[in-house]
Order: sequence, then structure tokens, then C-alpha cells
Amino acid sequence: MKKILILFLALITLSVFFSCGGQKTEGKAGKTTASEKPEEIHVLYMAQAAYQPEDVQGWAKLFTDITGIKVNVDFVKYDEQHEKVVASAVAATPTYDVFSLDLIWTAEFASKGFCVPLDDKIASFKDDIPQSIMDAFVYDGKTWAMPFLANFQLFFYNVDMIKRAGFSGAPPKTLEEMVTMMKAMQKKGIVKYPWTDSWNQKEGLTCEYVWLTGAFGGDTFDKNGKPIFNEGPGLKALQFMVMLLKEGLASPKSLTNDEPAAKDDFIAGQAAFTSNWTFQYGFLDDPKVSKIVGQAKMGLLPVSKDVLGKYKYNTASVSGFQGAAILANSKHKEAAWKWLRFCTSPIVQRAYLTEMPVWKSVATSSYAAKMDPTMGIKAKEIASVHHRPRVPQYTETSAILQKYIHLALEMKMSPKEALDKAKAEIEKL
Amino acid sequence: MTRSEMSTKKLLIILVLPSVVIIFFVILAPIMFSFFISLNKASPKLGGIDLHWRGISNYYNFFFNDPQFWLSVRITLYFTIVSLMVELIIGTGIALVLNREFFARSLVRAIILIPWAVPTVVNARLWEWIYAGNDFGALNGILKVLGILAKDHNVVWLGFDTPFADTPILGSFFSWMGVSRALNMIIIADTWKVTPLVVFLLLAGLQQIPKTLYEVGSIDGANSWKKFWSITYPYLKPVYLVILVLRTMELFRVFDIIYILMQYSIRVVGVYTYEIGMKFLKFGQGATLSFLVALFILAFTLIYIRIFYREEV
Repeated sequence: MKKILILFLALITLSVFFSCGGQKTEGKAGKTTASEKPEEIHVLYMAQAAYQPEDVQGWAKLFTDITGIKVNVDFVKYDEQHEKVVASAVAATPTYDVFSLDLIWTAEFASKGFCVPLDDKIASFKDDIPQSIMDAFVYDGKTWAMPFLANFQLFFYNVDMIKRAGFSGAPPKTLEEMVTMMKAMQKKGIVKYPWTDSWNQKEGLTCEYVWLTGAFGGDTFDKNGKPIFNEGPGLKALQFMVMLLKEGLASPKSLTNDEPAAKDDFIAGQAAFTSNWTFQYGFLDDPKVSKIVGQAKMGLLPVSKDVLGKYKYNTASVSGFQGAAILANSKHKEAAWKWLRFCTSPIVQRAYLTEMPVWKSVATSSYAAKMDPTMGIKAKEIASVHHRPRVPQYTETSAILQKYIHLALEMKMSPKEALDKAKAEIEKL
Repeated sequence: MTRSEMSTKKLLIILVLPSVVIIFFVILAPIMFSFFISLNKASPKLGGIDLHWRGISNYYNFFFNDPQFWLSVRITLYFTIVSLMVELIIGTGIALVLNREFFARSLVRAIILIPWAVPTVVNARLWEWIYAGNDFGALNGILKVLGILAKDHNVVWLGFDTPFADTPILGSFFSWMGVSRALNMIIIADTWKVTPLVVFLLLAGLQQIPKTLYEVGSIDGANSWKKFWSITYPYLKPVYLVILVLRTMELFRVFDIIYILMQYSIRVVGVYTYEIGMKFLKFGQGATLSFLVALFILAFTLIYIRIFYREEV
């Protein structure tokens, strides 16, 4: 028996010894071949709206051909990005070197030191990026990501339905005018619910609420990050949303819709108006999916009549900007920066004008104007965006806001009560 | 103890040791670490986790200072109890039918297993399409074809209306429980998938009952109902206990189907735990909630065992 025990212990000792030895050998091999082996970086990107996986894969291949640096891109759903970044940041060796940073995470990740400031690297060219975009990635006086995707909400309207309701076909300039049009459409039986939206209890609901608060002339939080949404424009915005549901103007399905579902309602001809991100434009006239080919247009989001004249372009939107950031525990920061510079470069963005370029020189070029006839509308809307609050506990703040807005939309609480409760809970954080 | 017995004992210890070591590191150590985390304020930091000792305050806060926790418990209790009742009633009915001799019984038994074979995520997506509140929704489509729904009307099946909202006491009770139409629809979707398991467990139990007992019952003039309560039910009691414990565990910690269909709109305890732990990154509180879920399940199991044991005495 003793012999068996000794043999067993000997086997364990040997396996431990060889596994350690193996690591050393591997380490040595790694060192000797490091100069020959191409450098490799890992990138986390969302597979949702905006640039599509095949686009990004194409850039990665081109980048490898030019620099010799191999790029592995992991595509995940937007909702999974945050936890993936955190899991990578808390690890001793990160899974990712570069990740797409939604502007709402800037304060949180910057305050925790998860990403590196890029001010030194971007100083020479940042003037070519609009201040409204650049500001979204500034926290504590430093810039934490290179602007990458200039997403924002726009207005989509069905010209055909507007004309059938007895109007000229021009989009409404004010929310009140839009309500009049919607009531006329309902009266004539043109569409059952003229408004659809993405009001399910997710981040999209906060976005919708932010632009509507803007449309009533205000913001949800003040400059110090203090909630101010429970009175004035914030309250009017929620009252407006509830009114749309109560009067049967907004589809009750909106409460379960995310952005793609709202888009589906609109292109199926089940709504005359909606607000959505830039990606929706690409579907309007696609005969494979759209039942309203040639009927709908994209325009500026209307504001309340009381706000006319307050904003330069009489419109209000919400920003959904994304930047590319480098994880602070990355072992390949230089290679990561090279990739980041490449994928956000004007030459790449010039080739993908389906998205609004972050570079002024590209957005205002005659080439862009020729390739994308909506560039003028986009430029006005992007200049009218309202940001969601930049607070370190944004995720929790937004979740509270979503919960109470949704309760008001479900008619289980009055708008005032819901927003008061949301404010009280947010202040406790 | 002889020398040979000693050697056998040592050999057994040596053989079992690797399993014990693996179980310790893979199961026991993470549970202990998770419990330790639940006693801390734990948040992520670059390259690790920041821990601040808080004792039992996480537990105390959930019990006494967090109305959302109790709302989540109520929603989860409703989901668990109603699902169990529906599964047991339908499951028993189908099992009794499948226990009889009829043409192509084996084929029917095989077909009935299909929903159980569908992965939960696929099942959730499937029902998302069935319940879609527009023209593309299968349920709305069928109801329109049958003439039950008007052509221009679509029901939002995953909507938030409280059942019996206009009935004074019942409406208030359902509202307090956090019940919505969506929750009831999800119960149907989950029941569709899980009932085959209940059926097959009960069927296995039914096959153990001697047929002579039913023959004797018939001679004594017992009707079907009497036969069920006097013969079938006593034999199936151990199976019911297994189903109750197994399904309570699964239902009380439900996450995937609700998260896929409703995200955070229906905060059952599982969804609330995920939100606190993984979305808000409050690892300590997330771990606390996990242990509370385990405590609830343990309490349920003890109640079941007590009820069934008392009945047998």
C-alpha cells in the first residue's frame, strides 16, 4: 500500500514539476519568438446598429496587412458589453485591449481607472471633431476615448399618411402640430396608432425621455449631475408620453418595443411617426423588409411650440455616441492605439457614410453631401443633441429612471409621483 | 483492524482524494468565497475586487430597507406557485392519458417530449414571436384567422396590464403581487416547455401501480375520482415530492426566459440578483441575494417534506 501511495505522490510531484517546467519553456519560447510572431490585440465591439461586423472585420484585415498587427474582434450584443469590459478590467491579464465605450460609461470607467486618458495622443487633430461629440468622452478634465460613432436620434415620418390626413406632406415642426396630424389620421382611419416608439424598460427609454425633455426645453440633470427632471420640461415630457398612450395615439406595444421593434412597426406601415437612431434610415426604402417604400422620410425631431426659437435648429435629440477606448491593464497599448487611430480615421469613415462621420472635414465635404443627401439634416440634429447625465453611477441612475418612467407609462403612477420617487431614489445613491 | 483492511481503507482514501480536492476547489471554495463576499461591500477595481467589511448589513438592508426585494419575492412566489399548480394539474392529466393503452401511444409519448428538448433560450425566442403584439405575432395571427380578433386589432400579449384591475380586492391584490399579463403569458410559455418532464416523472410513477388495485376498486364500486385519490395519489406522492422540490428550485431561481422576453421589466429574484450583481456591479449585494434565494428554496423544501411526512404519519 505504501508503495502505491509513494507512486501516487511521485506522479503528482512529477506532473507539478513538468507543468512548471512547461510554463518556463513556453515562456522562453514566447520570448524568443516574440520578435518573429506578429503582435496581436483583442477588440470588443457591439454587433447591433451602426457599423456591421463584416465592415469591422474588413478593417481588421486591412490593418493587419498594413501594420502586421493581428486584430481579433469579438462582437457582442450592446447589453453584454458593459459586463464584458468590467470582467476584462478586473482580471490581472485583460481579455481585451480595445473596447467600444458608450458615452454613458465614460464617468464610471474613468473614475475606476479602467481606461487610459488619450489627451496627449489626440491633441493634434481633435479640433476636427465637433465639441459636442468630444465633450461626451471628457470626465474630470481628461478625454477617455477616441470618438468613433456619432449616433443620435432622428424623426421618421410617413409622408403618404400625412397627405391622406389632409396635410401638405411636410413634417410637423412642433409636437402639438404632430398631435393634430395624428388625431386627423385616426379620425380618417388611416392608421390605428400613429406613434410608435421604443419604450420598453431598457436604456432606450432613458434616451427617448432625454430627447423629449429637450423638446420641452430642458435637461434631465443639471451641470453638477443633480436630477431636475421632476418638474418643468422633464415632467412635461413624461406627461406628453402618457397622454399619447391615454389618447390612443401611441401604440401600447411601444411599452414592450426596443429600437429594432419600433423600426419594424414603422416600416410595416403601422405608424405614421417615430423617433429612432440613424440606422432606421437604411430600412425605409428597402423592398425586402419595408412595406412603405417611397412613402417615408427622415427629418428633424419636433419640439414643443413653447420652445420654438430656443434652439438654433428648432429641434432636440439625444446623443448615443460611442468611442474607442484602451483598457488600462492592456499589455499592448501602443498597438491598441494604432488600431484605434486607424478604425476611427477620416479615411475609414469616409468609406462608410451610412453613419454620420465624427470628423468635420468628412461630414462637410462635397463628397459626403453627394453620397448622402440627408447629411444636412444629420448635421443639424447632431448639433442639437442632449446628453444623458455623466455620473459615475450612471447604470443605476438610468435603471431607476427607466423603472419609474415605465410605471407612469403603465398608468400605475402619475408622472409627477413617478418622477418624484425616481429623483428621491437617485439622490440616495 | 487487519493489515489488509488498513491497506484497503488507505487505498479508498487515495482514490477518493482527487474527487474531494476537485469538489472543494470547484464547489465548496467558491461558495465559501461567495458567502464571504456577501458580508462585504465588493466592487470592481482595475485588476481585482475592492472589499470593505460590512458584516450582515447587506442581509439586513434587503430584509428591512429594500421594498424592491420584497416585490421581487412576491412576483417570484406568484410565478412559482402558479406555474407549479398548472404544471402539476396538466402534467397529471396527460400522464394519466398516456398511461392508458391506445393506438400509437409510443409515438405520442415521444412527440410530447419535444418541448422539453428545446433549449430555454430558443424557447424564449420562440414565444417572443408567438406573443409579438403586431401583425407578425403568431397568436394574434391565429386569433385573426379564427375571427376572434378584429383584423386591425393586435393584442400586446407581453403587456403590463394588471389582471382584474377593475375588481376591487382582487385587482389590488394582483397589483401588490406585481402580477401582469406578461407574467401570466410567460408562465404559459414556461409550462409548455417543462410539463413533459412532469408528465414523464408521473408516468414512471404510474407504471409502478399494480393494475389489480384498480380492478379491486372497480369491484368495490369506486368511481374514477375515488380511484385516483385512494390508489393513484398515494402511490404518486413520492413522485410529487420530487417534482415539487425540483421544480420549486428551478422556478424560484428563474432568470433566462424572463430576462430574454422582458429584460428588467419583470424583476423576479433571479433578474434582480443579476441586475444588482452584474449590471450595477455590487458584487457583495448580488452574492447576498444568491444566498437569500438558496434560503428560500431550502425553506420551501423543508415545508414540502414536512407536509408529505405528516400526511404519511
